[in-house]
Amino acid sequence: MTVIGWELLRLGAVAFGGLGATLALLQRGLVDRRRWLQERDIGEALAITQALPGSTGVQVVAYLGWRLRGWPGAIVATTAFIAPAAALMVVAAAASLALPDLPWVRGALAGVQVGVVGLVAMAMWRLARSNARGTALVVVLLTSCVLGFFLHAVAIVVGAGLVGALIGVEREDG
Amino acid sequence: MDETVELIARFLVVGAMAFGGGGAALPLVERITVAETGWLTPQQFAIGVGLAYATPGPILILAAFVGYYVAGVGGALAATAAVFAIPVALAAGSAGMVSRLNRYARFRAFGRFAAAAAVGLLAVTIVTLAHPLFDLHPALLAGSAAVFAAARWGLSPVLLLLICVAIGAATATVQG
Repeated sequence: MTVIGWELLRLGAVAFGGLGATLALLQRGLVDRRRWLQERDIGEALAITQALPGSTGVQVVAYLGWRLRGWPGAIVATTAFIAPAAALMVVAAAASLALPDLPWVRGALAGVQVGVVGLVAMAMWRLARSNARGTALVVVLLTSCVLGFFLHAVAIVVGAGLVGALIGVEREDG
Repeated sequence: MDETVELIARFLVVGAMAFGGGGAALPLVERITVAETGWLTPQQFAIGVGLAYATPGPILILAAFVGYYVAGVGGALAATAAVFAIPVALAAGSAGMVSRLNRYARFRAFGRFAAAAAVGLLAVTIVTLAHPLFDLHPALLAGSAAVFAAARWGLSPVLLLLICVAIGAATATVQG
């Protein structure tokens, strides 16, 4: 169990670059290096967790931890995987509050804002392409773009889910 | 203490509603931290999102940033635990179960429609984040468009953020 925690801590510290990169990393660490799991376990974990709400990368880790050692495995694996990022984030948040109010600092922060708007737009583009397959889902996405400015976000997400469950237009191609 | 309880309650909701993954949950985080509670300014939220991109691990580690701003290290730990608790419990608990649930068309339809709606909400987040930039100088949005293009072209988010920070700091220094 200590070895599992250590391996996930190591992976969590270098899991840059979003879901695709994280999955490749998990495969190298847990399948190729440690030989704890097989490649199809990761595919299965991905298929199942994508239908659930939450950070998919973390959920794949939780699922694989459960496969290795049940509930304790899931909790140890997830905690170890998140710990490096959480620690970094606390340090960074503290640092951001301690920044002096100097012109170059303000410039750098404006730079971050410029970058983040571009990156979130990119995330939306990528997510739209992978999540809005088919006319019905495109309509849902566009409707939510508009309604988002007027209604509560949770109401929109749950409402859309209920509409989906009601009409149940589900094809096997997704 | 009250704030920690509110952090936990609100981030549990974010976790439970994060259909479509962590990136698609950014609008929910923005709503609760900027629009509804005023815990963060839009600028601080943007910094948090930037750091979430720049650090390894999931994007929703943003919860640690928000938690720290609201209630220090304890807040960071509480918010982080809350945002991942439900998704992790679902993922581990479903190892044998959801494969069965997954056969129900209505269950899958719920998830897919909810995810599409969550992605649509990112438009609101982009507007919220872009608004202070527009007030600063409309031309800055051209920079965002360039970042979008460069990211599509395959450049890493971390590299792009570093370039933005460098340009921002250099420009401000020159203008003094």
